[in-house]
Amino acid sequence: MAHYDVIVIGAGNGGLASAATLAVNHKKVAVFEKHNIPGGCGTSFRRGRFEFEVALHQLNGMNTKERPGPTRQLFRKWGVEDAIEWIPIETLYKINLPGGRGVALPADKKKACQLLCKEFPAEAEAIRRYFQMVWKFNEEIADFLAKSAASPANPSELKKFITKTGFPKIYKVLARYGVRSTQDVLDEFFKSRELQLCLSAYWCFMGMPPERFPFSILARCMYLYTVDKPYYVRGGSQVMSQALMDTIRRHGSEVFLNCGIRRILLKNGRAVGVEDENGNAHYAHKIISNVSPTITYAGLLKDEEVPEACRQYFKSYTTGISALTCFIGLDCPPEDIGFTDSFNLIYDSLDANQDFKNAYFTNTKADPIVATCYTIDDPCVSPPGTSIITAGTLKYGEAWEKLSPEEYHRTKYEAADQIIRRLETRFPGLREHIEEMEVATPLTHMRYLGHPGGAIYGYEQDLKSSVFFFPQDEFIPGLTFSSGWVNTCGFGPNYAYGDKIAQSILKEGR
Amino acid sequence: MSGKPIKDMIIGTMRNGPETLKELEMAKKTGKDISQERDVVKKKVAQYHPSVLHLVVSEIEAVSPIAKRIRLVSEDGYLPPFEAGQYINVFCEIDGVRTSRPYSLSSSAKQRAFYEITVAAVDGGFVSGYLLQCLKPGDRLEANGPAGVFHYHPVFHSKKSVFLGGGSGITPFVSMIRTVLESGEDREITLLYGSRTEEAAMYHEELSAFAKKHSNFHYTLILSDEEKEGMEHGFLNAARIQAHVPDILDCTYYLCGPAVMMEFCRKALEELQIPGRSIRREVFGTRRDIWNEPGWPEGMTGEEIFHIQIGEKQIEAKSGESVLTALERSGVRVNVCCRSGECSLCRVQLVSGKVFTAQGALLRYADECFGYIHSCKAYPISDLELRF
Repeated sequence: MAHYDVIVIGAGNGGLASAATLAVNHKKVAVFEKHNIPGGCGTSFRRGRFEFEVALHQLNGMNTKERPGPTRQLFRKWGVEDAIEWIPIETLYKINLPGGRGVALPADKKKACQLLCKEFPAEAEAIRRYFQMVWKFNEEIADFLAKSAASPANPSELKKFITKTGFPKIYKVLARYGVRSTQDVLDEFFKSRELQLCLSAYWCFMGMPPERFPFSILARCMYLYTVDKPYYVRGGSQVMSQALMDTIRRHGSEVFLNCGIRRILLKNGRAVGVEDENGNAHYAHKIISNVSPTITYAGLLKDEEVPEACRQYFKSYTTGISALTCFIGLDCPPEDIGFTDSFNLIYDSLDANQDFKNAYFTNTKADPIVATCYTIDDPCVSPPGTSIITAGTLKYGEAWEKLSPEEYHRTKYEAADQIIRRLETRFPGLREHIEEMEVATPLTHMRYLGHPGGAIYGYEQDLKSSVFFFPQDEFIPGLTFSSGWVNTCGFGPNYAYGDKIAQSILKEGR
Repeated sequence: MSGKPIKDMIIGTMRNGPETLKELEMAKKTGKDISQERDVVKKKVAQYHPSVLHLVVSEIEAVSPIAKRIRLVSEDGYLPPFEAGQYINVFCEIDGVRTSRPYSLSSSAKQRAFYEITVAAVDGGFVSGYLLQCLKPGDRLEANGPAGVFHYHPVFHSKKSVFLGGGSGITPFVSMIRTVLESGEDREITLLYGSRTEEAAMYHEELSAFAKKHSNFHYTLILSDEEKEGMEHGFLNAARIQAHVPDILDCTYYLCGPAVMMEFCRKALEELQIPGRSIRREVFGTRRDIWNEPGWPEGMTGEEIFHIQIGEKQIEAKSGESVLTALERSGVRVNVCCRSGECSLCRVQLVSGKVFTAQGALLRYADECFGYIHSCKAYPISDLELRF
């Protein structure tokens, strides 16, 4: 019977990050992963001459070696910063508007602002005000976080201070924009729909249309990606996942691949261990679930073991969106078909909110398309003279779950065909250069991630369920969570949150 | 967290804050109970990719003097859908050794009442020998899959298909042909089937009958080891392909057969200047004479014995046999599906030692950085230490 300090269920980004921090700090950890490879979303697969990245578009929080951002600092702490080749990206994204107009935003505040003023001269003043506001917003957040951190043992001090002065007086920008939707804020500043689309892009990283996407997340993304620059990784996210697994093992902890967990073991209401799929029990002082709370409570515990308060609490969280993605290997370089920027958002209409509603259907006739050309970030990503593009749309799983098995393959190819057809109008010749192509649907994500609805970003991250309201409450002693389900999703945020959870366990142990 | 009341207090003072808090309260009343999610994902995934297929042999019939088709039904009545051209990986335990072999499905993908696989005798074939000689109707088999990427992809493949098949490599094509012809799909298929003799050609009668009945299916049997009236003699070379395929640049080519034949066809297509994107090749296991593969270390015969350390266990392995085979032989359970380097399920870490990696191992960049191998395509050429 094995006994560990901490057991981690799942070797996704959050699980690996927590385990790495704990292992580096001399805790005895065991990570259990049902797949044959670590990483969860952070992985890749091979087809023919190509290796396709599954999840990573742009890593945040890197910045340079000399001015390391939070993500780089973590990899440094884990001892693998230099084991990975980090590739900076100069452009945040390119917005491809209806009619063929394209705006590629540089990862530089001044240049981005200038470019937008040039593109939309009538609203130049508003653009400048907007950028100022976004930066001020982030400064206020930093200040508030610093104050909260300075009085962790005494929140009442902070409370007194805030009550006395009034939060809106101290944090003016935060109070005005902190709990509003992206659309709401952009409407306050701008008239041009095109300009709004040029600034709302990050909605697709969280799977909420602008009218439901929390502005605070947009403001964070815009600021962090600009300050620390977006990065890609040579070899893709699997390299980071593997490096983290190596860190864990190198420090004497264990990662068990091909070993799923069947249930969590409780004793007197406290989580004390897990039982793996081979029926072996493993025990620990603390269990971290990198699996969604939904599957943790409804799949790894019995109904009667889940407290009523927990079931009540999770009622306000709904399963988030999944995706339909075409992984495409081309037998030509990107410029042959007119691909110039790595991360593209493609709109065939100016109403992103309306187009997003098509996410509830299987067809892809109206959905905004996200297309990433990895060859532009890293020309070595595939053999010389070839390129890799992943293009897809966000899709809810429900319509796909309702398909009969007979309808599935045809529906999948029709949806993919429609995406290629739409891309061809902007990138002529694309189809005839396809050498390899794989299509992943919400059911594919469900299969590999085990997530309800094939969700790729966790629960829906609207105003009432994210930022201030992430489902971080705990209901079973000894059981905590570390994943994109309980925090902002994405690589950087997940690594950071995984580290934070590990830090709090280290503190408990002291 | 202890900051909760302070959080609500702050949000209450923010613009749109009270509205958001109200919305949250509403959602708590109307949302879905988490317990309704129990097993939903598991059941949905199992419809397409059950972790194990429990199969029962329903019929066995000879399709050539050395091959039989085996019809399999599901123990619980449910078989997942597949795409014509895909395979299942059939497990069996022979003389106490649990191993598996991938077999292309040859039945039509338009029905799921049964799966059919076709097993041909292979010289010294461990599993094929067992399946051909010992298997009988009513026997149970476990398998995983269906899996594989050797199938028609309507988004970028031509509607005009050319199938170049050799020997038992005909089986995925039989499935593709049945699927297209039985459903009246708007596609055109030309099959050039290379066989040593007419007698050894599998499904020859059925294919001939299809060709008579369907104007969109063209079938030519090419015999290498005998000359017969009304049949072509020789190999699947460029001239022959050109003779049978009028618009050679408009087609997608699908190759399946022994390694030698595949290489021969690849060269023929290259000669005809068919772009690589129009050529699909089925992985077809690994050659049995691995010591003849380009790059094999000089002076080694395939008979050398090395030691493999894995966990507490130490086993012996022959250089001419894959690491996977050596592990299975010694009772180590390895996750596996394609056995051809493609699926990556049998990936293991090479802690120390050297392996020869056969062609077709689709390793990830990270695998090469961190020393992972696909055990089905790796041959020990020194003592090894492995880790799962």
